[in-house]
Amino acid sequence: MNQVGTDAKSLKQVRMLFGNQQFLLLLVWFAMVAFFTAFNSIFFSMAVFGNILLDWAPVVLIALGQTFVIISGGIDLSVGSTVGLSGVVAAFQMQHMMTNGDNQWLAIAVGTLVAALVGIAVGLVNGFLITKTKVVPFIATLVTMGAAAGLAIVYSGGAPVGGGPDKAIELSVPWFGPFSTPGLIVVGIVIICGLFLHLARFGRYTYAIGSNEFAARTAGINVNRHYLKVYALSGLLAGLAGMFFYCRLGSGAPTSGYGGELDAIAAVVIGGAALTGGIGRISGTVLGALILTTTTSGLIIIGVAPDWKQVVVAILIAAAVLLQGNKNGSRGGSK
Amino acid sequence: MFSLRKVLTAAISAGVIGALITGTAVAPAQAAAKKKIAFVMGAESDPFFQAMKVGAEAAAAANNVELIWQGDPSEYSPATQIPVVDQVLAMNPDALVLIPTDPTALQASVTKAHNAGIPVINVDTRVNDLTNVLSFITGDNADGGAKAADALAKAIKYKAGKTYQVVVGLTSATATTNVARLDGFTKRLAAKYPGIKIKDKAYSQSSPAKANTNVSNWLTKYPNLAGIFAIDGTNAAGAAAAIQAKGLKGKIALVGYDAYKTNVDLIAKGIFTALVAQDPAAEAKLAIESLVKYFNTGSATGITKEVVIPNVVLSKTSTAAALKKYTYVQK
Repeated sequence: MNQVGTDAKSLKQVRMLFGNQQFLLLLVWFAMVAFFTAFNSIFFSMAVFGNILLDWAPVVLIALGQTFVIISGGIDLSVGSTVGLSGVVAAFQMQHMMTNGDNQWLAIAVGTLVAALVGIAVGLVNGFLITKTKVVPFIATLVTMGAAAGLAIVYSGGAPVGGGPDKAIELSVPWFGPFSTPGLIVVGIVIICGLFLHLARFGRYTYAIGSNEFAARTAGINVNRHYLKVYALSGLLAGLAGMFFYCRLGSGAPTSGYGGELDAIAAVVIGGAALTGGIGRISGTVLGALILTTTTSGLIIIGVAPDWKQVVVAILIAAAVLLQGNKNGSRGGSK
Repeated sequence: MFSLRKVLTAAISAGVIGALITGTAVAPAQAAAKKKIAFVMGAESDPFFQAMKVGAEAAAAANNVELIWQGDPSEYSPATQIPVVDQVLAMNPDALVLIPTDPTALQASVTKAHNAGIPVINVDTRVNDLTNVLSFITGDNADGGAKAADALAKAIKYKAGKTYQVVVGLTSATATTNVARLDGFTKRLAAKYPGIKIKDKAYSQSSPAKANTNVSNWLTKYPNLAGIFAIDGTNAAGAAAAIQAKGLKGKIALVGYDAYKTNVDLIAKGIFTALVAQDPAAEAKLAIESLVKYFNTGSATGITKEVVIPNVVLSKTSTAAALKKYTYVQK
């Protein structure tokens, strides 16, 4: 009797483990690493993991913001364009400081601040449109997506903006295992966002609003102010991603974030968040972004046309959504 | 994944362009005597077209014609270009300069203009059938590819009998300029440098960040890589950053295309072995001048049907004046 009970209990634990999206994602990632390594052993090297992390950092940055937005029940389509705009504006600022003969590190610090401020500005416009003019997030951020992309091109004349500090590109060199300095900063931001979402009041409010906006309002949460904060956070992180691209390319390119919003949404959805709001975890987003960028590098290393990445990603999204549907279904049908 | 974005940007840009066109159509009514030349280019975000715009505006001012400059802000694609051409033709210009983003898809637009009695000139790229095209002015892309092969072979000190690994970064599999450059490059390698083997190709979809990812991974995958041919400006920018970040400056020959200012600056720093530069401003100038000639004489006599403007290879040995002359002008 007792024996049967423990068996059933451990069986249930195993089933729970496999029902856990993060655990499954980790398994998928290990399988991918094994698969790519089997085709070309060079894949399993510090250099390749360094490449993957270089791609991962900006994707995860904007995906973190997107996680908050999606959990709150919204969507932010403007982040890809914000990456380009903030990179260009920061690049002009740094170019200006270099022609003035300012210190390189000071220029990088000011550039980062400028990129962050541009991001926050776009985020606040989104928040304003959503809370004050009551435009749905999809349309509000669609508007800013177009406006930011256009401004980036007008402002830069289309060309990458260079002439900034040479040290920026040296920052992208990995020195701590596969991590570069901006990469380590991104890891720090991931941890902070995790604490904010899962342990702080900010996160509880986000879940509450995403689950039931009306109930959250009734419970005394200032919903509009919270939306404003969530979109500003998403913009801030996109601005920092713009600076990350600057460090990577040594110039601010208006097109550097193109498609970034869809990569971010894909990472969040693969990570197990529901577009209906109220569900999602930072760990899922981190793994979702890792899987996306591992696919890119892996396909290049094994010599498959990168166009296949889109197909692989599509399959992963479908699998993630199916898994979610099953979970919801079993919850509803449990006796 | 990509198409949603394209549809969205297309929707927005169509709206913006519509607004722009209605705006410009109302304003210059008093200058009705001036001939109007519509210029529909590929993508505003490409410095190549920015430089072309500078040349077109200067030539239009010098010849006292009105220039209607249009095109998609960022997408080099027939899906976004065809509606722009339709809008522009609705304004009844006296002539159309068209940079067709696809040789087949834009053929109908040329026919449409011709039937409306509007002379058409193709610049940079062309439609398949040039019957209704007054003149086709282009940089020689196949020649540019061949020159890139020569520059690469020289940089890696090519010796017959040895093998060398190179990779090529492209923007898309179908853009006519990419196809022609790669063709010229491949043919020249086969003819003169059979030891140089193209190991890999990938597409960046006009994103320097994607180009950077491709090249970063190639540098890991091929430890003995001798050289890289970056087929256009964005690929060149991405490849240059990857070589710098991996500390391989001077160890790997990098031949790029398009003289973006940021790329030309990297020649002196030893990142680019060579850059193949086109002269978009000269192409635009010739297009405007040919049309003015056509307006004055009313016939195609004296207008050359196909003009090829030669490419220039910029390298460390180029004079400062040459570097300055061929760097794509920006406003």
